[in-house]
Amino acid sequence: MEEKILTRGFDIKNLFEIDVYLQHGGYKAVENALLGMTPSAVLEEVKKANLRGRGGAGFPAGVKWSFVPQKAETPKYLCVNADEGEPGTFKDRYIMSHNPHLLLEGTIIASYAVGIHLALIYIRGEYEAIARRLENAIADACERGYLGKNILGTGFGLDVIVHRGAGAYICGEETALLESIEGKRPYPRLKPPFPASVGLFQNPTVINNVETLANVPLIILNGAQWFVKKGLPKDGGTRIFGVSGMVKKPGIYELPVGTSLRKIIFEYAGGMRKGKKLKAVIPGGMSAPVLTADEIDLAMDCDSLAGANSMLGSAAIIVIDQETPIFEVLKTVTKFYSHESCGQCTPCRIGTSWIHKIVERIGQGDGEEDDIDAIIRLASNILGKTLCPLGDAAALPILSLCRKFRGELEERLPR
Amino acid sequence: MVKVYIDDKAVEIDEGLNVLRAAKANGIFIPHYCYHPAFAPEGSCRMCLVEIEGQSKLELACSTIVKEGLNIRTRSPKVIEARKAVLEFYLAEHPLDCPICDKSGECLLQDYYEQFGLFNSQFKDNKEKKEKRVKIGRNLLLDRERCILCTRCVRFLNLVTGTGDAGIINRGLHAEISIYEADLIDNNYAGNLVDLCPVGAITDTDFRFKTRVWFLEKKESICPLCSRGCNIYIDFHPGFPRVKMSRRVYRIRPRENENINQYWICDFGRYNYAYLDEQRHHKILMERTGHSLGLSWDKARPMLSEKIKGLVNLKKSSRVAVILNTRLTNEELFLVDRIFQKELHLENIFVANPQPGKDDGFLLTEERTPNRRGLAEIGLPALAPDLKTLAEKTDFLLIFGSDLTESSSLDAIKAAFDKIRTKVLLTTHSSSLDSVVDIIIPTPVIAEKSGSLTNVEGRVQEFSPALEFRGDGLPEWQLLLDIAKELKINHKYFWSLDSPESIRRQMAKEIPFFNR
Repeated sequence: MEEKILTRGFDIKNLFEIDVYLQHGGYKAVENALLGMTPSAVLEEVKKANLRGRGGAGFPAGVKWSFVPQKAETPKYLCVNADEGEPGTFKDRYIMSHNPHLLLEGTIIASYAVGIHLALIYIRGEYEAIARRLENAIADACERGYLGKNILGTGFGLDVIVHRGAGAYICGEETALLESIEGKRPYPRLKPPFPASVGLFQNPTVINNVETLANVPLIILNGAQWFVKKGLPKDGGTRIFGVSGMVKKPGIYELPVGTSLRKIIFEYAGGMRKGKKLKAVIPGGMSAPVLTADEIDLAMDCDSLAGANSMLGSAAIIVIDQETPIFEVLKTVTKFYSHESCGQCTPCRIGTSWIHKIVERIGQGDGEEDDIDAIIRLASNILGKTLCPLGDAAALPILSLCRKFRGELEERLPR
Repeated sequence: MVKVYIDDKAVEIDEGLNVLRAAKANGIFIPHYCYHPAFAPEGSCRMCLVEIEGQSKLELACSTIVKEGLNIRTRSPKVIEARKAVLEFYLAEHPLDCPICDKSGECLLQDYYEQFGLFNSQFKDNKEKKEKRVKIGRNLLLDRERCILCTRCVRFLNLVTGTGDAGIINRGLHAEISIYEADLIDNNYAGNLVDLCPVGAITDTDFRFKTRVWFLEKKESICPLCSRGCNIYIDFHPGFPRVKMSRRVYRIRPRENENINQYWICDFGRYNYAYLDEQRHHKILMERTGHSLGLSWDKARPMLSEKIKGLVNLKKSSRVAVILNTRLTNEELFLVDRIFQKELHLENIFVANPQPGKDDGFLLTEERTPNRRGLAEIGLPALAPDLKTLAEKTDFLLIFGSDLTESSSLDAIKAAFDKIRTKVLLTTHSSSLDSVVDIIIPTPVIAEKSGSLTNVEGRVQEFSPALEFRGDGLPEWQLLLDIAKELKINHKYFWSLDSPESIRRQMAKEIPFFNR
């Protein structure tokens, strides 16, 4: 088994309690950063670590932080994206429920680096128990002086608020998330301006995924070089792979960035269930283009997957076996996106539902000869024309399913 | 100024402009639904995608600001394909009920399909069923099947009226515009939503099903119903020459003027257009012991002039009185001043206007005539008519407009008028005042004549006739000039004037305010 860094303490009983956390060296990273480093030194360290965003886009976190103006007249905010809406993804909930203080440490250090005094954790509404656990952790941290007006006597202050989402996939899109916090309909914003300059309540805002921030204390404690060595030079650290589907041992696996997909499925996740054969893998959450059984000899890092015309996304691996009809996969995908399209822009609003109507019709046995071509044409017409990434997130998996499994899908059409 | 290339043509563009407006300024139209120059770019309709060199994806023309050296392609194959693709999505779920849609003929879905679409429908599935007539305002109906969710209406209500009456409910394909609870959109600018809607989603019950837009002629004019001077279009059916159907105005719409009304007009100005066609005077009438007699201007002109001349010759010109109103143009008020004040030295020049209304805090002013400021700048007094003085000191009374009854009862007017030998009424509409005067001369409304008006902020706006004046009468400026020439006062001065333009030139020479 590879060395765990992020999930190392997950088997410690009651790690979510601050006393237990402190017994195991908790808040050492905050102390190191706030007492021993300047904000810019923290920023540099995270930059050097090549910590890439764990939410899906894979944008380097340190670079993102550096876009926020250092000297701003207005307040700056940190939003922790804990919406975890990408189907197949279930890593952040583990981090938050097992080790909420690690996330808080990351939040404090990031805020210190950028000069932020209010952080909001936007957590999906379904995670109510976890939200309460986070709130307890925040209260405890305040009591011990790790949060509040004057952290560790440094004069640096930070408040953290837990904001519960109201249940839409689109809220995981960073600008929709901001709108949602502002109490508005979660419509993604037009970019530019980017949140780093005009974000929450029009102020500079950093938005990071839970796992991204949870890695920050590790970088501070062990140094950027150590972190890079845990992964790849341009993509440091480990990833928490959430494996689901027809494997023997579904679950989360923390492994170095760049671990082979085949190894993850066949070694760590125990291989296929009950002698079933692998047909396809969705490697990075539902919006990642599907890979066939022949394409899984791949290193799981942002660049390698982009090279294979897919994406690492949230590193949620969905394993599909030979007995699962690809048509059902396609139907699940189209149903999801037509249901979750926010409706703001037309190609996505009409496109996803149009495709889903065709798929439903095929399912009812009323398919027509050119339906697969029609789906490909429509998905291509959505691609690159929508306001936010949801359009592409819908079009890409649909296109890959139709192109790579065309033969199987056409069996559903009348001859 | 920055230099950019639009479709390989180098052009100079004002800094800060978006690509959409930059292209428009150079005669290149980029289709769009959600963008409106009154609001910040929304970017949701995806119709204005253009190719910008160096960008891998197509970019929005509405939200891309021009930069030095930008190379923009609005007609490349990629752009043409993208427009078609996006338009296809719009039309897929559209009910295509153009034959019964009021917007038909001026609908941007139709227009863009003609210009950029022309594909065959590939949609084989069932379209969403939605509500087709939701009352959202006093005169507003919403058709949710036709709605393309551009949110122009929502933004108007948030940003212009600030009333925030509407929003979007539900998600994805089920998203729709809605008002909250049952509170109807109730403000003096709600009618603008109909013009703002690029498709037939919001229609006006005042206009609905009455005509088709392609039967209408559209002419420019200025709204005379308050002193703001909003720029408008008058949409009317010209009538048929051989059929008994005369001209009819169907609607008033705002005409862009960034200095005055931007893109909007108030509902007061929008819906009160019936006066243009109804209760109009057409014939010059003379009251003769119980019955009225039709008369031509050629006959009436010497008659009126003789009466005035008679008094002037007897050195009794002070027995002539005039009641004005400020619906008269700058040119007409100027002539009144020159003839009656400067030449004849009348003592009794009054102004009878409609009662002031309520200022609505945006465009509609308290003053309900269009040229009160003009009167002040020309230097005419704004005295309210004094019936007692009139009765005692007047032999000849020239009345412009029928608003006298607003401030005095008809009985009181009649009692005073009985003592005045000749009462001449120049008016656009029939009213109770008709019964107490001797001669009625029909005059055109603002929409039917030429001239200029000075709005409440002192902006002088010229206008030409939008509608034809169909009466035996004549515009007041012409009548005043005719009388001046007939009276042979200051011959040289008045004979040089023959049109509102020439009067305006003279006015500019004499009054610095108009010399701009």
